[in-house]
Amino acid sequence: MTTAIELTELTKTYSRGRAARRGLDGLTLSVRAGEVFGYLGPNGAGKSTTIRLLLDLIRPTSGTVRVLGLDPRRDAVELHRRVGYLAGDFVADGRQSAGECLAFLAALRGGVPAARIGELAERLGLDPSARIRSLSKGNRQKVGLVQAFMHRPDLLILDEPTSGLDPLVQQTFLDMVAEARTAGQTVFMSSHIMSEVEAVADRVAIIREGRLVAADTVAALRARSLLEVRIDFAAPVPEAEFAALPGVTGLRLDGTTLTCHVDGAPDALLKAAARHTVIGLRADTQDLEELFQSYYAAA
Amino acid sequence: MTSTGNAVPLSAHAFTRSVFTKTLHDNRRIFTVWALATAALAMLYAAYYPQVSANTAAKIPDALRGFGLSDTADAAGYLQGAVFGLLVPLLATFYGAATGARMISADEDSGYLDLVLAHPVSRTRLLLQRYAALAAGGVAIAAAVLLAMLAVRSGAHLGAVSVTGFAAQAVHLALLMLLFGALGTALGAATGRPRATVFGVTAAIGVASYALNGFAPQIGADGLRYATPFHYYIGTHPLTEGFQPLPILTMAAATAVLLAVGAWRFDRRDLGR
Ligand SMILES: Nc1ncnc2c1ncn2[C@@H]1O[C@H](COP(=O)(O)OP(=O)(O)OP(=O)(O)O)[C@@H](O)[C@H]1O
Ligand SMILES: [Mg+2]
Repeated sequence: MTTAIELTELTKTYSRGRAARRGLDGLTLSVRAGEVFGYLGPNGAGKSTTIRLLLDLIRPTSGTVRVLGLDPRRDAVELHRRVGYLAGDFVADGRQSAGECLAFLAALRGGVPAARIGELAERLGLDPSARIRSLSKGNRQKVGLVQAFMHRPDLLILDEPTSGLDPLVQQTFLDMVAEARTAGQTVFMSSHIMSEVEAVADRVAIIREGRLVAADTVAALRARSLLEVRIDFAAPVPEAEFAALPGVTGLRLDGTTLTCHVDGAPDALLKAAARHTVIGLRADTQDLEELFQSYYAAA
Repeated sequence: MTSTGNAVPLSAHAFTRSVFTKTLHDNRRIFTVWALATAALAMLYAAYYPQVSANTAAKIPDALRGFGLSDTADAAGYLQGAVFGLLVPLLATFYGAATGARMISADEDSGYLDLVLAHPVSRTRLLLQRYAALAAGGVAIAAAVLLAMLAVRSGAHLGAVSVTGFAAQAVHLALLMLLFGALGTALGAATGRPRATVFGVTAAIGVASYALNGFAPQIGADGLRYATPFHYYIGTHPLTEGFQPLPILTMAAATAVLLAVGAWRFDRRDLGR
């Protein structure tokens, strides 16, 4: 089996109250087995809606969902055995200690070696004897991470897994994700932040208002990003020489300093610049974060 | 970070093996308080019988005859009116409503249900295991009441009521709690409404059907009594008639139907947040 998640024309309309609310609108998406898939989008885009549909916590209005080749509705129990899930706002029983909570959840799965739980807790710096109610948000999130990873599921579905974690623990989490991939597990994780997903994800999808805006490898998304160029000349240069060059956009001439964006090869720009005395040159690929912002904002 | 591992006492682990045992464990104090309080109140009222029987002037208004507040002169009549006809069944109704509302609604409100139901536990299984804990609590309360009655039986001159009569009454009491517990559980499971709403509606149905059972003869609607659980619970006189299949099976069947409908709807709806 090569497809871990297959969503076809998935639509979810919430009908609580009078006004029907569109949570997802004809989403088609597939996640390959064994990849780390980043699922990005602004607040209210429909990330959690998608994830709760994958787990059969809510049911689609129309369209189909296949997860690990199973129907989340009909094969819920079998599917849940093979999935580790971390909710966007992870809620556990506050009266239990972290260890009791994890032991209970492990028992629901038919048992997980205590050593495995201990090892994960230790790695994340979670004290198993602490009462969950008394834990800080980040430490509570660690409980959620341990319960999602502990049984080494075929598929990890993580809704904003790093929320509340300090940078050190975030790094530990990213290591855990990388190891999961090495072990052949599939990871589907949502986030608001490109950079965090960029570090581990093979592919990324961006959704907005319940629709898919882009889905590609991180490398391909990066290739789509523009080159930001700044050239300092010894003397003022005529704007006309640069304005019509292929791939050049956003041209600005400020005395002897030229700035612009270049889409594709910068060859024409460099040859045009070489006719003058160049005293400074700087070129950066546009931050993926910026590209991502433009997807977020695009109408 | 100190060493991890066996920081959790084993006894706690023993109670966290299934949804059923965890629910029991979580509710152990509440169930104990319910059992002790209900038994203590029943005992207190029962122990009052010698004074009442000596003072047979106790006049019951006609309007209240439907509630079973009659014949205070004999032990069974007194118990059926003051103990098992008023206080205890209302407590049982509230036990069912309060506990039933906590079985699904409370955890759905908090978001905890998302976690448990993302595990290999079907919704029906979760509902039944939660309900089984509620039922165990109900049986414990009824058993405590029975023990309290047997403890004061001779001291309070209640020997005219047989042990079987008390046992049958206790079974009816347990079934009443199971029935309202099933109503609360099923309402929460079927609708996903908040806990307070589920509790309020269940308790209101309980009180209304109690009143209906009591006033039905006054309003010339005797037949309506058969639609209320209280008729089967007390109107069939278990204290004097002992175990009878009809009321027991009727209450059990109603409970099963409520749970089945609740589970059926629960399985088909979205979990709320
Ligand atoms: N239970 C619900 N009832 C009604 N509308 C809902 C419900 N849950 C989500 N929605 C709506 O569906 C849309 C998508 O919400 P969703 O929670 O999936 O977004 P999200 O991408 O996870 O956002 P965030 O980044 O803030 O977590 C939003 O407009 C939201 O208001
Ligand atoms: Mg969300």
